[in-house]
Amino acid sequence: MEDRLNQKSFGFTALGRMRSWHLAQCPLPVVHVLPSIAPRLFRPAHLRLPIDSATPHVVRVPLIDQRPAVQSYQFRHAPVPPAPWQTIVPPASHVRAGDFSLAADRASAADRASAALKPKRTRILPPRDVVKMGERFFFLLQPNLETILETSHLEFPRQPFPFQFDGMAFLMPRHGAVLADEMGLGKSMQAISSLRLLVRLGEVRRVLVICPKGLVSNWTREIADWAPELLVAVVEGDPQRRRWQWALEDVPVKVANYEVVVRDRELVAELGLSFDLVVIDEAQRIKNRSSHTSQAVRSLSRNRSWALTGTPVENSAEDLVGIFEFVAPGHLSDSMSPRAMGAAAADHVLRRTKDRVLKDLPPRLNRDERIELTAEQRETYRRAEEEGVLRLSKMGQGAAIQHVFELILRLKQICNFDTATGESAKLECLEAELDEIHASGRKSLVFSQWVETIGRLRGKLSRFGALEYHGGMSTAARDETIERFKHDPRHSVLLLSYGAGAVGLNLQFSQYVFLFDRWWNPAVEDQAINRAHRIGAVGAVTVTRFLSVDTIEERIDEVLRQKRDLSDTILSQAESAPSAGLTQSDLFALFQLVPPQRSAA
Amino acid sequence: MGQHTVEPSITAACGFLTAVDSPPHGLFGGYLLVDMAGRPLEFHCTAPLKVSRAQQILYGATLHSHLHGQQIGATLLAEGTLQPQVVLTDLESMLHVRPHTKLPVALVVRRDTPPTASSFYVGTACVSPPSDHPEHASQLRAAIETLVASVDLCEPFERIRAAIEEAQRH
Repeated sequence: MEDRLNQKSFGFTALGRMRSWHLAQCPLPVVHVLPSIAPRLFRPAHLRLPIDSATPHVVRVPLIDQRPAVQSYQFRHAPVPPAPWQTIVPPASHVRAGDFSLAADRASAADRASAALKPKRTRILPPRDVVKMGERFFFLLQPNLETILETSHLEFPRQPFPFQFDGMAFLMPRHGAVLADEMGLGKSMQAISSLRLLVRLGEVRRVLVICPKGLVSNWTREIADWAPELLVAVVEGDPQRRRWQWALEDVPVKVANYEVVVRDRELVAELGLSFDLVVIDEAQRIKNRSSHTSQAVRSLSRNRSWALTGTPVENSAEDLVGIFEFVAPGHLSDSMSPRAMGAAAADHVLRRTKDRVLKDLPPRLNRDERIELTAEQRETYRRAEEEGVLRLSKMGQGAAIQHVFELILRLKQICNFDTATGESAKLECLEAELDEIHASGRKSLVFSQWVETIGRLRGKLSRFGALEYHGGMSTAARDETIERFKHDPRHSVLLLSYGAGAVGLNLQFSQYVFLFDRWWNPAVEDQAINRAHRIGAVGAVTVTRFLSVDTIEERIDEVLRQKRDLSDTILSQAESAPSAGLTQSDLFALFQLVPPQRSAA
Repeated sequence: MGQHTVEPSITAACGFLTAVDSPPHGLFGGYLLVDMAGRPLEFHCTAPLKVSRAQQILYGATLHSHLHGQQIGATLLAEGTLQPQVVLTDLESMLHVRPHTKLPVALVVRRDTPPTASSFYVGTACVSPPSDHPEHASQLRAAIETLVASVDLCEPFERIRAAIEEAQRH
């Protein structure tokens, strides 16, 4: 007892009826506790001391004096920002990430009010495949994203939407990620802001953005907008120039189109280039694993791989497997059931749709305009179809898919313009609609599959100042067209090809979209429509799809309608996934023909 | 992103010290050192401490101050390789760590909690310096001012709790 007590400690004992001479045996001073304070010092005495026993039984209760074991983790500190951060001042119109009083110019008043009342705080959570405890703690112990942005003194041209912060918190910690938001939700902005922050934190220094050729200038504009302090080099031009651009070391972000990446595959390897982050836009470009594009992109030495696409499953589940070969090689396989694939991909894929995250986005009004062909058109159409079907029937087993395609294309062209007379029921209808829209000062987008149709329409729609935008134009000419359409009120109609105009363009100031003819895949049509129906749209977007009655267009529409939900099926881990595109059987069935049997060889 | 060794030149602006009672595992302690922007530099957490019913009875009202202050708080502060300018805790009982450290230790609570005479506000947080160490009050104020204004002084405790929850899952 003496060993355990020091001068500042006290010993307490409940004596009960023990005699005072017992206390005299104790070597320590004894203080009597008055009954009035005793209950506060002692819990109710349930102890029964065996005072009549010669040797009472003693129960030892150990003190809590053993220090707990400690696990310790140390984290890397963000380095001093590189020079460009300190020298480039963002425009005065930029807003700070946490400043909700300077809310988005595009957000609704209700959004702003609610944001000001209760600022959202977005946590960066570790991905599932991060298994080391120290690394998981590193993410969990970071401040919320809004605080990181604010303390990094990063400013934005517009206040991002809360779901865009979620997108950034998804991308930032991931080495392999697919941002598969529906078109128009700002995938590029989320990727740029995320890579901007990673550069700021010193996590990445060399970034390569790969996109379709027509979107290169769009990307440079977006980077200048959302990350004005980041230096950007566009890799383009002759081989000597490209070599020099690839080798640039003090430029954190390089932008190249897919064709350049394919062409310079060996050069990139020869230069020994390695990237901290490679971002591919319109990632469905690499869905075919055996293509040169996919191989070239996948051959890039990189630490992080982000894929951006609004249509991760364009035709079949294999599309997603193809994209994953870039993002997380080997993670998915063709043999997986859609449910298993969805589960395996879940932690790498983030997909949001406009109806879920943008409650305040103006509505999209769809209407199918069923057009009766003119009498001359109908006659031309009837003749062409009969002759075509007869020819295919005669070919029997020799009929190939391209023969069917040729017939479909011919019939679709007649639905647009009578090849004999030049008459067009669709054009008449379109002109009537555009008259009204033009008079109201609004702008329209008109999509077609054919550049030739676009050329014809431009001539017919000159009174609306119609402009063309398609793959046959140079990048500079296309950029100039967009600028004129945006800023010159004399141009109220923009005619676009699906190929060039369906991706990457921000044309949300247009409130009318016309699909003059239909594409083979509804996902591409959605992309086209979403040029106008996206963040920043100021009013309802009316989408008019022209369908010629009793023609191949109606039949194709019916088939596509039945297959439209493939992407949702995969992404919601459903059991079966039909093909969304038109198969060989579908194409032959359009003319009630049976596809030829494949030979065993 | 990941775990690395901290450069010796870095100084921690602030330490956040708390404990999480998580039955049936026991009591976990967490100590997070952050830089001026609130970013993590070090994290230390204890294995769970289990207290028997008999110990609860014997320690009585002194149990939490003993566990938090001496067993957990003092142990964790001793593990830090960086010296913060101030240690903040959201548990009053953790203030009993003061006899075991030379660092100023203050209680941080949400603004809606009644302040003491020496309390001062930082954003939505109310900081209560130790009344028995008046010399610490000015040091506390100066240290907290070095933190970027946007850092919420109550928020890092949520991070510690999230990390401790994560530790229990693995």
